[in-house]
Amino acid sequence: MKSEILYPGAFPMVRVELAEGEHIKAESGAMVACSPTIDIESKMEGGFLGALSRKFLTGEKFFFQTLRASRGAGEVLLAPTVPGEIVVLDLDGVNEYMVQKDGFLAGADGVTIDSQMQSMSRGLLGGEGFFILKMSGKGMLLLNSFGAIHKVELKPSQEYIVDNSHLVAWSTTTSYNIEKATSGWVASFTSGEGFVCRFRGPGIVFIQSRNPGGFGAWVRQFIPISE
Amino acid sequence: MTPLPNALCFGDEFPASGVPCLVHVEEHLLMIAFPSDRERAEGRSEEVPFSELTVSAGGLDHDQLVIKWVGSTGPRTLYLKNLDVIRAFRQAAPEHLTMPLERAAQQVRQVRQRHRMVWGIIGGTFLAIVLGLWFGSDLLVELALDRIPVEWEQKLGESAYHDFLVRQDVMKEGLAVAAVTEMTRRLSDSIPNNPYTFQITVVKSDVVNAFALPGGYIVVFTGLMKKAESPEEVAGVLAHELNHVLERHGLERIVKQLGIVAVVSIVLGNQQGMGGVMKQLGVELMTLKFGRAQETEADLTGLQLLHRAKINPSGMITFFQRLAEKDEGRVEWLSTHPMSSARAERLQAELAEMPKEDYEPFAFDWAKVRTALGTSPGTTP
Repeated sequence: MKSEILYPGAFPMVRVELAEGEHIKAESGAMVACSPTIDIESKMEGGFLGALSRKFLTGEKFFFQTLRASRGAGEVLLAPTVPGEIVVLDLDGVNEYMVQKDGFLAGADGVTIDSQMQSMSRGLLGGEGFFILKMSGKGMLLLNSFGAIHKVELKPSQEYIVDNSHLVAWSTTTSYNIEKATSGWVASFTSGEGFVCRFRGPGIVFIQSRNPGGFGAWVRQFIPISE
Repeated sequence: MTPLPNALCFGDEFPASGVPCLVHVEEHLLMIAFPSDRERAEGRSEEVPFSELTVSAGGLDHDQLVIKWVGSTGPRTLYLKNLDVIRAFRQAAPEHLTMPLERAAQQVRQVRQRHRMVWGIIGGTFLAIVLGLWFGSDLLVELALDRIPVEWEQKLGESAYHDFLVRQDVMKEGLAVAAVTEMTRRLSDSIPNNPYTFQITVVKSDVVNAFALPGGYIVVFTGLMKKAESPEEVAGVLAHELNHVLERHGLERIVKQLGIVAVVSIVLGNQQGMGGVMKQLGVELMTLKFGRAQETEADLTGLQLLHRAKINPSGMITFFQRLAEKDEGRVEWLSTHPMSSARAERLQAELAEMPKEDYEPFAFDWAKVRTALGTSPGTTP
């Protein structure tokens, strides 16, 4: 399985080359185009209950689509819904990543997707909800972001502070605490940051350069209200 | 086939995501082998004696074992998740590591326990609220009812009462009215601390019915009186209806129908908003059906009231039974007061337990009352 990011930048697309018999699972609706040798299947990853929990707990889609090169080698073009970058990770069986619900685009068959419960404070204040996706296993993983994707590399014990709505994915060797952006409660919210995540290395944190919620609020002011 | 890596190693010269490695626990040292396909640590391995290690718990959920040491190329950190390796390490670890290992394990347990506890508390609270609303609503309703003044209830009942009577043929005077008035007087005289002034109206109608509105407004249909063989039977129905008023059953139903929000607003003192809603509900009051529990309550308290007023309570029971047996005509009272043998039996049992009392007859002649109503004295209803 080989992948290549086309048109890197705000509106990228991924070309994934599948050998005969190989398949890739992608977020439902991610397929843009594919070779005639590719079969598109809809699959409830993790069984019915797994899919159900993913749907209701993380807000991810109930079905994933599986693109299978069953009648010979071929290629698949995949794209996310929102404008923003795509990043390709290679899971080695030891590295694991937590991914916020809109961050998953596609994964090789060896990649396992679980919804995992967060701790109370992280669930309440982290902005990702109580359940997030955990990616483990072996193989290629495609993540997408809103805006550009930025990789923060943390050495052991190195700390970094990220606004919670800009998080895309982070490795499970990192740990983080939710805290107020400033020392005072009022200033925390008037500064526009509210809560932030203090990450501690080692590991990698992927952040997105735009905040989807903030963008939504900005767009809303231009939408006429009809009565 | 080479075994798969089971840990991540971090160090100054390694990438930030860490290098997968294969950790093997030997007798006095950790053997860390790096897979050969990594360009920086090509196929080499490190041996670290236990004496150089420090351990702690770490990772996103504090569920990984973090092993640190300073190697020849700088500080190294190992993140272990594989349970088999951790177990082997704990077994082989020397004395100076037992304490930190135990502490790390303790930490993992604590985090897990806290997780469980927090979710348990949340689940428990949720369950408690649901159960509390389910079982405690009656208590809330009671609380709310206590805060509604009797005058309110009267106003509400009064408007519904007048609305109803406008469309009916009301009996203003006569033997029947006098009889019912006497019954009511005897009954209400036996109610201690009665906050209500009962208003009884006799309505000319063949419908066998009688009902009570909140605030003490009671309507008796002549059809019911014609059906009764003795005044005690009518008094029994009256006692039952009076107790619906006394126990504020109508109000209770309304409050339950309005729901918990209204109940809370009453408890918290917002009575103004309730006025309009109650007026609206006034019409619905006519069709208000009391619950089974309320019926039983009115039955029993009615029986006791009859007893206190020295009116023979067996009239109440026989009338109920007779109405149930002969379902002829428009016996509306039964549709709202379904008669069951269990109900009559309960009343019988209750009556049997009461001390014997010398019941006093009414001053009026029931036969004359019935004649005045248009029933020939000989006919059995």
